[in-house]
Amino acid sequence: MPFLLHAPDGFFSTPVAVALWIVTAVVVGYSANRASRELDERAIPLMGVMAAFIFAGQMFNFAVPGGTSGHLLGGVLAAILLGPWAGTIVMASVIGVQALVFQDGGLLVLGANIFNMGIIGTLGGYAVYRSLVPLLGGLSSGRYPAAAVAAWLSVFVAAVLTAFELAISDTTSLAVALGAMAGWHALIGIGEAVITVAALTFIANSRPDLLRFGQPSAATA
Amino acid sequence: MDLDRYLERDSRIHAADARLKFLITIGFILSLSLLPIGSFLAIAIAWVVLMAATVVARIGPSRVVRASFVALPFVAAAIPLIFTKSGDPLGDINLGLFTLTASGEGLIQFATIVFKSWVSVQAAVLLTFSTRFPDLVEALRALRVPAIIVAVISFMYRYLAVLTDEATRMMRARAARSASPDGSGGGSLLWRARVVGSMVGSLFIRAYERSERVYAAMQSRGFDGTMRTLRRRQFGGAQWLALGLAAVTLGVFEVTGHLWLPRA
Repeated sequence: MPFLLHAPDGFFSTPVAVALWIVTAVVVGYSANRASRELDERAIPLMGVMAAFIFAGQMFNFAVPGGTSGHLLGGVLAAILLGPWAGTIVMASVIGVQALVFQDGGLLVLGANIFNMGIIGTLGGYAVYRSLVPLLGGLSSGRYPAAAVAAWLSVFVAAVLTAFELAISDTTSLAVALGAMAGWHALIGIGEAVITVAALTFIANSRPDLLRFGQPSAATA
Repeated sequence: MDLDRYLERDSRIHAADARLKFLITIGFILSLSLLPIGSFLAIAIAWVVLMAATVVARIGPSRVVRASFVALPFVAAAIPLIFTKSGDPLGDINLGLFTLTASGEGLIQFATIVFKSWVSVQAAVLLTFSTRFPDLVEALRALRVPAIIVAVISFMYRYLAVLTDEATRMMRARAARSASPDGSGGGSLLWRARVVGSMVGSLFIRAYERSERVYAAMQSRGFDGTMRTLRRRQFGGAQWLALGLAAVTLGVFEVTGHLWLPRA
């Protein structure tokens, strides 16, 4: 149930919500700038369809004991497939539409939700991926373990951040929130890691040419 | 999944400018968010006004209330407050290993958060139900959301139905191929997650190829990277007046809620 990360309005205090809106606006604005510079005019249809892809990809679920189901969040996958800046734009758009159209997450706290899932999960997850790939011996051997660690962290850290934000907002106690959110999302993160790696494997086997955007070599070029 | 949440009605609220509705909704949620703990009367007043607005919009309260329960699971996040906040003890819950003590202060704070959140969700529901998506996107553009994000969101919405249909077909195909004898879903958990991963990968390739076709089609129609729109509604005197009135009303409501309305 990663939608526990989509906080509705009211659960973060006004200062927390507004402060994170400002941070989100700055980072997303910068990403928009970078993405428009790095990709040509095909970026708009590509990112638009990719945002719809992430939204639809989150529908694929699998039964988990206990009556719930696991599914993809997609931040790290988006960053690896599209590059960090375009990935951030795509995730911010997905989270924005989920709030605006489906009330999955609030409007005043949208900045916080984009920060937790779209910025930390995507940009942060990508930074972990980028720094782990060379450590693990390059793309050929390091791509999947690095993606797995980054995907797990993206969910886990988003949950820990949400717990802290809830605690600062005085909506819950830090100890309980950390225990519940972090413990639960440590498990959800494993699902995220498996799905992310399996998706990358599938793409590497069928259309390896599509794995060029977010790769360390391409991003530095 | 119902992707088109707009409800066609002939009402003043539907006809109102999307930017105006968007700003008033945000202002409404902000003013709720700023109310002090225990402002149940103020929250109730806001809710009654909102329900009146649903009647003016010819959508009616029940439809909006029903759609607002999506946020319910998150309530679990605030439940610990009842027990962790220090204050007058209300009673003990014996869980065997340990005993939880509920406090009056904790309960009041919990209820404040839940009611604020619930009314906020309903306000967002009314906005979605009464505003066409392209108008919402126009509102984002007017509110200085970066052009590339506005473009991505409007494209995303256009292809949402296509890709969710594709995803639904893929899930149907998976269900048709897989037997699940005892309703357990079949296969190990790891295997199930990997199947989902392959489906995500496959959907990505289909989506990517679709975006190439979309781009080729756009290029052949003269797309040069800029999005153009023909409809640009003016934010005129009437809109500014309405926005000012709404701001003053919300301001008065906020001050009243802080200074004069009784609190629990």
